[in-house]
Amino acid sequence: MTDPPLSPDLPDDRQLAAEYVLRLLPPDQHATFEARLEAEPALRAQVAEWTTRLAGMNAEFPDIAPRTAVKSALRTRMFGTEARRRRPSLLQRLGLWQGLSFASLALAGVMAWQLAQPPAPTTPAPLYVSEITAEDQSLWLLAVYDSGTAELRLTRTDGSAPAGRVLELWGIKGDNAPVSLGVLPDAGASSVVLPDPLRGSVTDLVLAITDVPLGGAPGGNPTGSVLAVGHGDRTVTRHTTKKGGPAAHPFECLIKRRRPRTPAAAPRAPCDPARH
Amino acid sequence: MAGLARPGFRPSCAFNGPNMAVVAKDSTLMPTTLADIEDMIARIALGDRNAFSALHDATSAKLFGTCLRILKDRAIAEDVLQVIYMKVWRHADRYASNGTSPMTWLITIARNSAIDRLRRIRATAEIGAEPDENLPASGPTPEQAAIARSEAGKITECLDELEPDRAGAVRGAHLDGLSYADLAQRHAVPLNTMRTWLRRSLQSLRECMAQ
Repeated sequence: MTDPPLSPDLPDDRQLAAEYVLRLLPPDQHATFEARLEAEPALRAQVAEWTTRLAGMNAEFPDIAPRTAVKSALRTRMFGTEARRRRPSLLQRLGLWQGLSFASLALAGVMAWQLAQPPAPTTPAPLYVSEITAEDQSLWLLAVYDSGTAELRLTRTDGSAPAGRVLELWGIKGDNAPVSLGVLPDAGASSVVLPDPLRGSVTDLVLAITDVPLGGAPGGNPTGSVLAVGHGDRTVTRHTTKKGGPAAHPFECLIKRRRPRTPAAAPRAPCDPARH
Repeated sequence: MAGLARPGFRPSCAFNGPNMAVVAKDSTLMPTTLADIEDMIARIALGDRNAFSALHDATSAKLFGTCLRILKDRAIAEDVLQVIYMKVWRHADRYASNGTSPMTWLITIARNSAIDRLRRIRATAEIGAEPDENLPASGPTPEQAAIARSEAGKITECLDELEPDRAGAVRGAHLDGLSYADLAQRHAVPLNTMRTWLRRSLQSLRECMAQ
């Protein structure tokens, strides 16, 4: 080769990163580089640097509006027909998160509170019930909130913390910062009295569980982004039971059997395990 | 705390949340800022279809222009555009850790997707030689060039310091998605010469931009 040798000032990785960003690497090298990216933060930093460095040229890409039909086609391709779009699938979303999230939080859950018990003379304070589940269902908790005593009872039906970690429960009201509700015991049931700021209407209360180092979350705050899973109003949609209508969610039924003080609800929402 | 207490960040129901109007307002009445785009991406990560729609409205012209520039075929560019937005929908949660500006992130996805399609098409020789006649010429218009110059700033200056054909090779790689073989052919130099040109040009660019 008559070409002059490459300058030693340009280390291989930096050069590879530039060529990767420009899509100049042959397919095999491209694949090798991409595999290295997963494991090498320094290489990812090189790629980010080159991406930003070359991004100045992006201004030369023209603005050309696509036909409006393209957007409609995209919508159909992604979300199907209007009828199907009306039925958001929480499980689909959770599955998506499971596939995509690489946040440090192994577990996240949400509670969609619902009125489990129609007003009855013997039970003046509403009782709310929901579940907290991890995306991959490796953790499953049943939660009951008694608005009369502000007591939140949790029953873990499945799952445990990873070795060396503990599960911490958080309550999030609206846009407020998460409030730690403490570390969950290893198994079985536990209960906590909700602090004042979280009481009142609990229908917009989100509960989340994170795994944290032994001793609790550093700085008293959860980290990572998986928690956001729990914010969807859709969860409420999925769990919504028509007021006064028949119990639609198996957890309601479960709770009614466990709560002897709700017999009045039974005739209106018969608890038939076979149904579930 | 990321994702929980971000100012102005309010996950919402995807179908009838009150922020539908807000998003529409952002994208139609007011200039969309990078912060707006960032916010839309964050909402998309939560499955917010209104935000997805708003992001599409705010960015599809740029991303379609990117596809067209590289693919030079409207029908194929339209298909790739859809693929791009599906990727954005699926990978929106990766943006936060990405470290680049949201438009750079989106254009990178668009550019890579268009180039990948171009290479696949080439491999199967599915595409004709002549591009759509209705497409803009591959070079920027004077106006676009002026905008590009002001926005691109440093890299444009640094490209201008390179010999014109070498700067042309860098632009060809980035803006037209040309491979080493394409570039060697276009500039009528041996493949290895083109490799050396490009690598040295990139090194010069890096040094120039670091100043």
